[in-house]
Amino acid sequence: MEENKKKMTKKSKIIITIITLIIIAGIIVTLTVGLNFDLSYKDSNRIELYLQKDFNVSDIKQITDEVLQGEEVIIQKVEVYEDTVSIRAKEITDEQKQNLVNKVNEKYGIELSADSIEIESIPNTRGRDIIRPYIVPFIVVTLIVLVYMSARYNKLGMMKVIFKTIIISVVAQALLLSIMAITRLEIGILTIPLVITVYLLTLIGLTAYFEKQLKIKNDK
Amino acid sequence: MKKIKILTIILGIVLVTMVAFLGVYVPVQNRMENKVKDYEYGMDLKGSRNIRLSVDTTNNTTIKDENGNEVTDGENLTDEELQEKGYKKEETPKNLQEVLTEENYKKSKKIIEKRLNDLGVNNYIVSLDETSGDILVEMPENENTDSVISNLGTAGKFQILDSETNEVLMNNEDIKAAKVMYGSDPSGATSGTVVYLDIEFDKEGTNKLKEISSTYVSTNETNNTNTTNTDTSETTSEESTEKQVTMKIDDETIMTTSFDETLETGKLQLTLGAATTDTNTLQGYIKQASNMAVVLDNENMPITYTVSTNEYVLSDVTQDELNLIVYLIAGLVAISLIILIVRYKTQGIVNAFSYVGLASLFVLLLRYTNVVISIESIFGIAIVLILNYIFVNKLLSKLNKEDSKDKGTISIVLKDTYKEFFINIIPICIAVITFCFIGWEPISSFGMVMFWGIALIAIYNISITNLLVRLKEAKGGKSKDGRKQEKNDEKI
Repeated sequence: MEENKKKMTKKSKIIITIITLIIIAGIIVTLTVGLNFDLSYKDSNRIELYLQKDFNVSDIKQITDEVLQGEEVIIQKVEVYEDTVSIRAKEITDEQKQNLVNKVNEKYGIELSADSIEIESIPNTRGRDIIRPYIVPFIVVTLIVLVYMSARYNKLGMMKVIFKTIIISVVAQALLLSIMAITRLEIGILTIPLVITVYLLTLIGLTAYFEKQLKIKNDK
Repeated sequence: MKKIKILTIILGIVLVTMVAFLGVYVPVQNRMENKVKDYEYGMDLKGSRNIRLSVDTTNNTTIKDENGNEVTDGENLTDEELQEKGYKKEETPKNLQEVLTEENYKKSKKIIEKRLNDLGVNNYIVSLDETSGDILVEMPENENTDSVISNLGTAGKFQILDSETNEVLMNNEDIKAAKVMYGSDPSGATSGTVVYLDIEFDKEGTNKLKEISSTYVSTNETNNTNTTNTDTSETTSEESTEKQVTMKIDDETIMTTSFDETLETGKLQLTLGAATTDTNTLQGYIKQASNMAVVLDNENMPITYTVSTNEYVLSDVTQDELNLIVYLIAGLVAISLIILIVRYKTQGIVNAFSYVGLASLFVLLLRYTNVVISIESIFGIAIVLILNYIFVNKLLSKLNKEDSKDKGTISIVLKDTYKEFFINIIPICIAVITFCFIGWEPISSFGMVMFWGIALIAIYNISITNLLVRLKEAKGGKSKDGRKQEKNDEKI
């Protein structure tokens, strides 16, 4: 029994050390290099081409891959008739615009003029603007959950339960963001859903842990 | 009999699954139409209205007389007529160079965000080009979008002026709040409803309004009354000598009026449209008044903007990418169910069917409850499926550990599993219910999906899964699969 406990403590220590190292590395990467936002949140250029007919996004992707040399692009259909394409990339030069227009003219048998097409600059979306709508809901939920946890697991020590819930929830989020920062995973439309999922799974894990602890305490 | 019951339930599940995933097609005008309601997609999956608000670079034209006073009736005069009268045209930029600062651009962005919130837009992205001052807004496409857009770029400048001298008597700084009110026609001429824009002024504004309303009073003095009697008509002409005020919003005259009585309450009620009994017209007036109230309730924009781009852009998440996500989830579910079947054999097969039934009912429920499907809610769907898997696995594991499989034991096991499972997810239930009430679509859609999912897990498992388990384990004693499982558990 004692040996098992020692093993567990050793295992926990290793896990805590690894998590701490990942978070520290994540903080360093975030502070030095920054997070890797995906194109939809970055400063970028955009052009719109009126193709006058329905088209396949994959065909346009082929053209942009050739002209923009595999650079990350966002291709979207515009308006209800879906006969206009919006091409967004980190940077579109006049030459690239000309090439895109030529290729599109060739592919769809149209006569677009590059001169009449404007390169629009799209400003970046700030990270704080993305997360702002989620802050209040998360604070409210966390507060209610903390009240519930401290009432339900009162026997385990109210402050201990509150402290553990806060710390583990924060560490889980920090770990997720650190992994994203280190692996240069893009901060995009999947990030917020991932954060919510990790938050809820952390809550399940915490409840299961406290339930187990409570049962042990009650059995004693 | 037991087998027939199980088969009937399983056939029912297969039917629901087919309806949920394949649809019900009926011929409509030489084509097949799916009668199953489609999903409501959110902005990230459907598309958005993209608006670019650009700094207005046009000029305001004012006509002034020889003394430099502004002339209000010179708009329709030709250049020659202006010259004859000695009037001069003056062009002033709508946005003076000194207001075009980064600070004002940021302030404008904040005001637009606040207006979007107040106008009930539940999902948007606002970004600012700090060099040019252009503001880009992405918002969901719905029946209110155009009306919201029309109020985004407006400066929201409110003024009450002397109609003759154009002296500004009151402005936005005097407003405390603006809201919409409606009531029955005060004239009593119709049984319709009248919509008012109720502007409440602050302490200083109240004093100003009191003073103005006692100065600019209706004094309909009849100076000259000519009455002409003929066989068929009577004509009366009146001349008024009262002082009037002009009310302007964004330099557009809303009304020129005088006051019947001194206003001491600090509230001004402007009637929008005429009294009406038509619901649609009334809704239109209410919407118009609400939008105006939102604009007045917020600070006025330091910069005048114009809408330079206004277009609907489809999501960059294509149908193929969405299908890929669906296949991925379906694949993971299939693998999990195979594990369940391998572990619990026939009981696993029965519960795998039950699980598929829940998943099918769940997607049908999402279609008919009008829950908005966003990227967040797809994650919600995945979490619900994981939670149900945990529940089924826990139930089967507990059942296999029981020696007796009579009705009483099954009931106890089910009750225990329910208790344990739902106690563990209480924090999730708290989060989900809270999320449902948040006015931000991605988070509320996640909450709604999870809410329906958890409710379905509770109801479905106590009815269908419970019934299937009871039918499968109708006789007492441990099943062959159960004994094998127990042996495996002991080995582990």
